[in-house]
Amino acid sequence: MLATTIILPTINYTAILPELIMLGGMLVLLGLVAVIPRDFSTKTYAGLTQVIGTASLVSSLVLWHDVAAHGAFQAVAQAVDVDGFSVFFLVLVSAILIVAPAFAADYLHDEGIEGAEYFILALIAGAGAMLMGAANDLILVFLALEILSIPLYVIAGLNARRATSGEASMKYFLLGAFSSAIFVYGIALTYGATGSTNLADIAAFLSRNVIATPGTLYAGAALLLVGFAFKIAAVPFHMWSPDVYEGSPDGVVGFMAAIAKVGGFAAFLRVFVSALPTLSSIWEPVVWVLCALSLIAGAVIALSQRNIKRMLAYSSINHAGFILMGLIALSSRGVASSLYYLFAYSFIVLASFGIVTVVAKANSGSAEIDAFRGLGRRSPVLAVFFAIFLLAQAGAPFTTGFLAKFYVVSAAVAAHSYAIAVIAMLSAAVAVFFYLRVVLVMFSGSETEDAVGTPEQHPIVLSRWVWSGIMACAAATVIFGIYPLPLINFARAATLLFR
Amino acid sequence: MGSLTSYLPIFVLFILGFLFAALSIVASKLLAPKRPTTAKEAPYECGIVPTYELPQRFPVRFYLVAMIFVIFDIEVIFLFPWAVVYNSLGTFGLVEIIVFSLAVFFSFIYLIANGALDWGPIKVQRPASESAPRTTSSTVRRVSSNNEAA
Repeated sequence: MLATTIILPTINYTAILPELIMLGGMLVLLGLVAVIPRDFSTKTYAGLTQVIGTASLVSSLVLWHDVAAHGAFQAVAQAVDVDGFSVFFLVLVSAILIVAPAFAADYLHDEGIEGAEYFILALIAGAGAMLMGAANDLILVFLALEILSIPLYVIAGLNARRATSGEASMKYFLLGAFSSAIFVYGIALTYGATGSTNLADIAAFLSRNVIATPGTLYAGAALLLVGFAFKIAAVPFHMWSPDVYEGSPDGVVGFMAAIAKVGGFAAFLRVFVSALPTLSSIWEPVVWVLCALSLIAGAVIALSQRNIKRMLAYSSINHAGFILMGLIALSSRGVASSLYYLFAYSFIVLASFGIVTVVAKANSGSAEIDAFRGLGRRSPVLAVFFAIFLLAQAGAPFTTGFLAKFYVVSAAVAAHSYAIAVIAMLSAAVAVFFYLRVVLVMFSGSETEDAVGTPEQHPIVLSRWVWSGIMACAAATVIFGIYPLPLINFARAATLLFR
Repeated sequence: MGSLTSYLPIFVLFILGFLFAALSIVASKLLAPKRPTTAKEAPYECGIVPTYELPQRFPVRFYLVAMIFVIFDIEVIFLFPWAVVYNSLGTFGLVEIIVFSLAVFFSFIYLIANGALDWGPIKVQRPASESAPRTTSSTVRRVSSNNEAA
């Protein structure tokens, strides 16, 4: 039959070890659930997931050491990059998978969602997000995007007994599948115009050749941009995110928000900065518009939200605008500031949704802002922590939130994008208002004083799991806010080794 | 535009397919004798004559069987091309396909363990108090017995 010999790729398994640990651990969990006669509690699975995340973190740090000592390299037929950029995302995703189960363990148990399914899906999504950062080939980017997205659709619908959960899952799936289709078409057109799906080859081709009829290439780049903008929920491709965040099970929204943003931005930054820098005069104005719209719409629409999950969803859209500023600056400094912002955002959003989960549970599932009224008296420590995370999102000093905003804005100013810097600062001022409103509601007395004595006002008891998660996120937010040098150096190294 | 000529056979095939379908319909309209009987007009020409409306809802287990089918379908789709070029892929291909098969096998085990193939009476895994109270007009389980009376 086929007489041709196939050239087999030499696969450097250490280069993709963190991903393999995630997927291997997922298979072990899957087999475990099947073999044991009675399910363990969700806490056991959460613990196992944290162990897998830690193993993956260790192997990511080993890879980081390799890259720092011997420089960046490519593996698996040039499809996987092992450079500072990919290692940054390996470390970040591993860290997210260590922290996220802490917020989910008790919630899933209380909601009656037993079993390891959430943790299995989270590990698959984590492997996808890692590959998004490492992919050096558009086909691998697409595969990673699907590995990341499909588990998230299922996670959104995990609470089968609530109709809102199914609705969130359905909306997320339909819009996500739609955007994936657009993204694949973008890959096809880009391949048609440049003759390669390898990001480095695309960049080399574009720098060597001038394309006489660039319509196909522009269309391809535009469709790629739309695909990514859907995933990171940039305005006007953000419609799904408030509905999905509101409807999804409380305890897992933080993970969904963090991992989707991290994975989406990882590939977004790499594809546009490393493969299409020669087209920057074309896509930069478009990204500018997306960024400005996200900054403004995210902040303004969040003002009118009564549900805190929706408010956080719109504030995430606002954050997406800030992270996009690093791309507009189109400098190593800009990308480094985006990476710093992603790191800060991930832990703040994990903890914010984690606290919303426990407060909503104590208020019979209501995540309205009124559920937080008087929280300062009811559970002062919890209220203080929530205030820290909200103020960090608003950009208060001594938190990573402030430095993250500072770095992206200064990168934009350094690139002479003054207009977007002004828009960003104005939107941050608007955003301060709705974050502070929640803080005020928490610490002001209840409007109806007689409500204090009602039995609902007993303090909220948190389990050790949730405390450990909150503490880890608070440490990441405050320590790197006061002493940011290690993280900044990590983010800078990520872009220095970024070819 | 020269590159588009290579798509000409596909276009011709598309036209031919369309013509074949159109001609078949027209020819059967013109040529076939029309002698309708009640049996011929029934939705299904053979089998038991339906006496009542079938229930619209059916067990979710059918979907699980479909999932098992998809799993093996996908596995076979990957195994076929691998088997064809087995000799040129050598040990590398064998190892890769074993890893792939293991991943598929684990998901199959998971499905079996979750009762995808248990067709016996429904096991009550949670206290029934959380389900909606039964009334005379609406519960899922009474659907079939209700219809027998109708």
